[in-house]
Formats: sequence, structure tokens, C-alpha cells
Amino acid sequence: MEALATRAWQAVVGLYAGLRVTFRALVGRKNTVMYPLEKVNVAPRWHGLLALPVDPETGSDKCIICFQCERVCPDRCIHIEAGGKGKDRLLTRFDIEMDKCCYCGLCVEVCPTEAIVFVPHYETSTYNRANLVYDLADLRRAAPKEPIARGVIAMRGRP
Amino acid sequence: MLNMGPQHPSTHGVLRLVVTLDGENIVDVVPDIGYLHSSVEKMMEYRTYLQNVALTDRGMDYLTALANEEGYLLAVERVGRIEVPPRARYLRTIMLELQRLSSHLVWLGTWGIDLGATTVFLYCFRERERILDLFEQATGGRLHHVYFRPGGVYEDLPDGWTDRVLAFCDEFVARVDEYHELLTGNPIFLARVQGVGVLPRDRAIAMGACGPVARASGVDFDVRRAFPYEAYGELAFDVPVFQEGDCFARYRVRMEEMRQSVRIIQQAIAKLPAGEIRAKVQVNVKLPRGEAYARTESPRGDLGVYLVSEGGDMPYRVKIRAPSFSNLYALTEMMRGWKVADVIAILGSVDIVLSDVDR
Repeated sequence: MEALATRAWQAVVGLYAGLRVTFRALVGRKNTVMYPLEKVNVAPRWHGLLALPVDPETGSDKCIICFQCERVCPDRCIHIEAGGKGKDRLLTRFDIEMDKCCYCGLCVEVCPTEAIVFVPHYETSTYNRANLVYDLADLRRAAPKEPIARGVIAMRGRP
Repeated sequence: MLNMGPQHPSTHGVLRLVVTLDGENIVDVVPDIGYLHSSVEKMMEYRTYLQNVALTDRGMDYLTALANEEGYLLAVERVGRIEVPPRARYLRTIMLELQRLSSHLVWLGTWGIDLGATTVFLYCFRERERILDLFEQATGGRLHHVYFRPGGVYEDLPDGWTDRVLAFCDEFVARVDEYHELLTGNPIFLARVQGVGVLPRDRAIAMGACGPVARASGVDFDVRRAFPYEAYGELAFDVPVFQEGDCFARYRVRMEEMRQSVRIIQQAIAKLPAGEIRAKVQVNVKLPRGEAYARTESPRGDLGVYLVSEGGDMPYRVKIRAPSFSNLYALTEMMRGWKVADVIAILGSVDIVLSDVDR
């Protein structure tokens, strides 16, 4: 009988201690965000969407078509083709298959001219897998409008 | 005979347990693994050393991406004789301990759910979310960081990051007390874990248990202390050891480890030296012919990577000694003689991650 009373008392104390924590959390600061209605600001270094910023001085891509990002990509999701000779060498194709991309950031790291950067954008889901192949126009559109340091840019709206 | 899994919510992944029963008593447990096999070791042979860093993140233990990177890169740096600058060593130590906190929080939360204490999960994930935010600010990734590089780390810390980490550390110590209030004082929780699933010291050693599981059985061994890597040799921390070997001891070891991790982070930030964050090596590093074994203490235990290089930029062979794998095989010893209801409590207390078991 006495053992039972001790155990009942322990249960009451344990329950009280636990519920105290619960009530403290109940009146404390809210930790959740009503997501689709409220947006979250991700960190500037966020590995989000890849983008090709356009050089504001020349008005053309910063890419020098060295194929380093294509080579370093572990998932081989970057496809580059170029036409023209010498100074007229131009990007004709720069496709990134974002469905294959593992967001490792190695392409951003090896790029010698900071021509490929991460944009802190996180709403990239779509109903069709074909929409995840981003071509040159998409990647330019995703790019921030101002020159940026590598991977460090302010939060932007949807591209 | 009872089949548990492979799609059972409390197996924390895809694990099948073939439980032989006598009434309600467990006679034998045979874990059937391989459902999450991703052949990381073979894939590594076809990727460069730099690309493999991205692979270790997701192919191995997905909750402790940085600990995997550390184990792999330690082997790479030993083969290549790459000297890591002091600042990078401290940065890695801070990141590894934050990773240990986040991993233990997932374990505590999910184990709480397994045992019916659903609220703990919410509190643990609240703190984990803050750690992931800190990771996001520093590395750009929340789970898969690809932050460590051969010879250092990728980027230096953003402004004010260390202050945010210190503020979090102060708050977190109080949170650990909160978890103790929720669980340690709860008689229902104690009844389910205290004295349950005892793994004696000699069996723990014989089955190759490592990490918190071994330390809960009285094996006083921690790779961070026995073979210091990165900055651990210069920092003071205690290694919690308990003699009981039951689920409650494994719980207490991890709770105490969280406190020690906070201590390590605080010391490492106080001592954080200035200077280079990356050794002067090629980005796409090429290694000479050679082989090395690197041993690290991942949150789950003793993570070893054996790397053989034949020269060039790809490894010839990588062998990963996964801590979850050896701990999973100590499971049979723990479960024998207990009741069906204890299976989940014991399995949760081992803290396995199936992608680490199968690799």
C-alpha cells in the first residue's frame, strides 16, 4: 500500500514537472510560421536556386565558357555548349537539370568569374519534371539585378 | 516469429527485425538490413576527392553530414599529408559539436515519440531548428552542408555568427534541464527504460559496440580523447561513462554529451584563432599513392574511413566502418530475454540511422 502511494506521488510530481514545461511553452514565444501565408527569410548563403548573373558593365554573361562547373558537378546536371570563335565565343546552351542537382555548390566554388551563383530562393516545386530543366533564359532571369559577392546576396522575390 | 518492419514507424528508416518469440518473451532478434543500401563505397571510386565530399553527406549517415565529411577528409588529408590551418581546425570542431547536438536532439525527440512522450519531440525540434538555422547561415545547407574541403573549410563564418552560437549555447543548457524535467522525472518513462535492455560490458566489447552505447555499458573510450583529431586535443571536456548498460544509461550518456558539446563549442569559440581557413592545395586535390585509416567520433560512435589511393584524383578504394552497423548487431544481445513491448524502447535507445547501417 505504501509503495503504491509512493508511486502515485511520483507520478503526480512527474506529471506536474512535465506540464509546467508545457505551460511555459504555451505562454512563451511562438515558434511556428504560418508558412504559405508568411514567408521565411533564408540566410544569404542558402543553397537555393542556381543563377547566371549578367555583368552590368558589358551587358553579357560573366561566363567565360571554361566548362569547369560542368566537369566538377558530381551529378553531371550542367550542360554547356558554345558557338563562335575567339572574342565572339558565346554561350548557346547552359542547361541545369535542377531535379538532378544535389545543391553541393561545387560549381559555384570552381567558377573563376563568379558567373554562377546561388540565389536564396526556396520555392522551386512544380507539377512537371520538365519544368525543372532551367535553360539560359531562366537562369538569367533568376539572377539578382545587382552585382553580388559570391553566394552572398539579399533576399529577392520570385524570379 | 514476428516481423517488425521494414515499414514500421519506430524502426527509424527501413529496418526489418525478425523477432523470434516465446509467448511475449523475445528469444532471438535478427536484424535484416540492406533496404537503404546506396553503394557509397563503390560510387566513391568513380568520383574525385572533391566530389566525394558531397557524396559522404547524403550517402552515409544523413543526420550527421559534417561528421561524415570529417571522417572522409581526415583520411584524405592523411594520405595527402595536408596540413589544416588552425582556424579551419577550430571551425570544424565547432561545426562537428553543433552537429552532435542536432543529431542527439533528433534521437531524443524520436525516442520520446516511440515511448509515448510526444511533447519532447516538439521541444527537441525547436532547438534543432535553431541549430539548422545556424548551419544555414554559415554553410548554406541545413542537412547537407558540403562545407569541409580537403585542407580546410569552404567559407569563413559570417559576421556575428559566433555571438549567435554563444547565445544559443547559453539558452540550450537551460533547455537540457527542461528535457530532464520532462523525461527523467517521469515515472512512466523510467518504468519503460530503467533496467531495460542491459548490455553488459564484456558483451558490448565483444559485439563491437561503440560510441554512447559502449560508454553506457562502462567502456571508457572516446575517439576524441583517445586519438585527438582537429582541435579536440586542445579543449577540455569530460567523457560521460555509466556502468548500468541499460536504456536509461544510454539516455543519460547522450544527455551529458550534449552538455559537454556545449562546453566544447564555448571553449572553441573563445580560442578561435584568426588566419587562413584553407591549406594551399588544389581545389580538385590529387593525392599521392598511399593508404590511411581515419578514426573519428561521430554522434553515433566510432566512424572509421579507410582510404587507398593509387595516385590521381580519385580514390582506389574507400571502406567505411559505420558506427550504427556495429551498434545494430549489439541489439540482439540487448533484446534477448525482454518483452515485445521493450523492442521499441531498446531499438530507439541504440540510435541507429539506416543509411549509415547500409551505406
